[in-house]
Amino acid sequence: MSASQSAVRSRAEAIKVSRTFDWLILFTLFFVVLGGYHVHFMLTGGDWDFWTDWKDRRLWVTVVPIVGITFPAAVQACLWWRYRLPFGAVVCVLGLLLGEWINRYINFWGWTYFPVSFCFPSQLVPGAIVLDVVLMLSNSMTITAVIGGMAWGLLFYPGNWPVIAPLHVPVEYNGMMMTLADLQGYHYVRTGTPEYIRMVEKGTLRTFGKDVAPVSAFFSAFVSILIYFLWHFFGRWFSGTSFTQGS
Amino acid sequence: MKLIKDKVAKLSFVALLVTVTAAMFYAPTASAHGEKSQAAFMRMRTIHWFDLNWSKDTVAVNDTMTISGKFHVFAGWPETVDKPEISFLNIGIPGPVFIRQGSWIGGQLVPRSVTLELGDTYEFKVLLKARRPGDWHVHTMMNVKGGGPIIGPGKWVTVTGSMGSFVNPVTTLLGDTINLETYNLSNTYFWHAFWYALGLAWLGYWARKPIFVPRHIAMEAGKADSLITAGDKKVGVGFAVATMAIVAFTMSSTNAAYPVTTPLQAGLLRGMKPIELPARTVNVKVEDATYRVPGRAMQMTLTITNNGDSSIRLGEFNTAGVRFLDAKVHVDETGYPDDLLAEEGLTVSDNSPIAPGTSRTVQVTASDAAWEVYRLADLIYDPDSRFAGLLFFFDEAGNRQMVMVDAPLIPSFI
Repeated sequence: MSASQSAVRSRAEAIKVSRTFDWLILFTLFFVVLGGYHVHFMLTGGDWDFWTDWKDRRLWVTVVPIVGITFPAAVQACLWWRYRLPFGAVVCVLGLLLGEWINRYINFWGWTYFPVSFCFPSQLVPGAIVLDVVLMLSNSMTITAVIGGMAWGLLFYPGNWPVIAPLHVPVEYNGMMMTLADLQGYHYVRTGTPEYIRMVEKGTLRTFGKDVAPVSAFFSAFVSILIYFLWHFFGRWFSGTSFTQGS
Repeated sequence: MKLIKDKVAKLSFVALLVTVTAAMFYAPTASAHGEKSQAAFMRMRTIHWFDLNWSKDTVAVNDTMTISGKFHVFAGWPETVDKPEISFLNIGIPGPVFIRQGSWIGGQLVPRSVTLELGDTYEFKVLLKARRPGDWHVHTMMNVKGGGPIIGPGKWVTVTGSMGSFVNPVTTLLGDTINLETYNLSNTYFWHAFWYALGLAWLGYWARKPIFVPRHIAMEAGKADSLITAGDKKVGVGFAVATMAIVAFTMSSTNAAYPVTTPLQAGLLRGMKPIELPARTVNVKVEDATYRVPGRAMQMTLTITNNGDSSIRLGEFNTAGVRFLDAKVHVDETGYPDDLLAEEGLTVSDNSPIAPGTSRTVQVTASDAAWEVYRLADLIYDPDSRFAGLLFFFDEAGNRQMVMVDAPLIPSFI
């Protein structure tokens, strides 16, 4: 067979090869994104995503969506502008969550015995689905950034609340009031993570009384919009094809 | 060339095999917490732990034990370490093999960080409940913001039983008693599985059709608009609406199920109550101090003045958790860890009782292999070559008096 001949001899064979290629690329994409996004998320979201006693109504709500929208924006740019595929955000988040669950279950629980109910990851799927759908319907980076980015930030807290709320039930402990999440952090000893490292309930957002989470979510959503733009451009740049002039 | 490649491949394979085999046959337990690698001055000139007591050597799963004692916050705290204005009484164990059921400083529960004052001495207690069977090295520990973990003495404790039987009952302010070990676990698994399945469904919807090659060809051919059908858009709207509806509904139903929730609790506890020590009647002046490297011995020349009404003798020198005792004056009966106890490690040139109102200059030698084993000798390489420790004097009635010493140290290499 010469280089100019086709590798396939029929349409059926071409379809079969194409599908095989689809699964190979999707499989590779999934695990490459899993690795990259997971490392990025651990370095930037870190403890806010590791422990329930870091998942507060201020900084967790603010930080996690902002650092989380990065890879979805970049992968969306690649998959949408080159293939018109609207699942960039979801594939990222599924990869991240699979990596996180493997890490939490094998490392946190299997090796160091922290209960899974103390170190489960944050939920990002609802925001990712909406982000993908907005891109598909709008075919616009700007609208996806503004509407989708806003939805990504705003859906984060309520999307996690069914899992977090039971841990915010108060308990009286030796004369002090704590939440069950605080108590998990106190009971399950983290030798290298002293209490003062926690960055929770810090800031000057006191005007809205106890209703801090919605304000934090709006702020997070606003910054998510900006970060979406930035990382969308990263994605477009990274997925571009360049040719060099031959001699 | 091929021969070389084959040889490299073969040797690489053999090397891999040897490595894997070695790891299988020799994988020793990592049983230390880096206490020996922590800079000597950090252990000698920050927190001085003493009168420590581990209530049990062996404890069954679900049973409790305590670590209690005192710690002195060294007044000459090194400049290179942040002051203990934000500190946390921790415990040095390999993961939550125990749970910390309570920790107190001066009788106050300290689940949060605290402010400690230089020069003060505090009483502390940590209540631990055994969770995972094994032999664990249990250390006292104080984390200092800007200073890091300052690890104290450790003792081996054996936990027996099965982790499967461990329970951690807690009663909430609403009157429900839950097992914190497993609480909320099935709820967590359910919601993560649910959303993961919905995400997979969205991915599956697109993956059921050709994905990359035909779509890329269509994009290149300018037929991008044909790739998203009206049906796709309807499905997309369905996913988005369903997602938002589920989020709204579950938020509402969760609020109904848990009407009382509070934010995470945080804050700094100030005003820790120190021990009120009796007025000091013994004064000690360090005339000079040398560390003799070959002999693993520290020698101090001390001028001791007894201003009390009873004669005194020097019984113990304690630094970085290592206790050097003069067995003729003081014998340890607390079961202190052997590796940290030099029962006859303290020699005083004249340790006859110092009468009230008199002074005496003596040569004090603290010698033991612990200087090397615990890498305290490394303090001669510190940027601020000083030593510090606690001296314990005993009067005729057996009463004890603690005196802090802090002075430059000159190494001797011959």
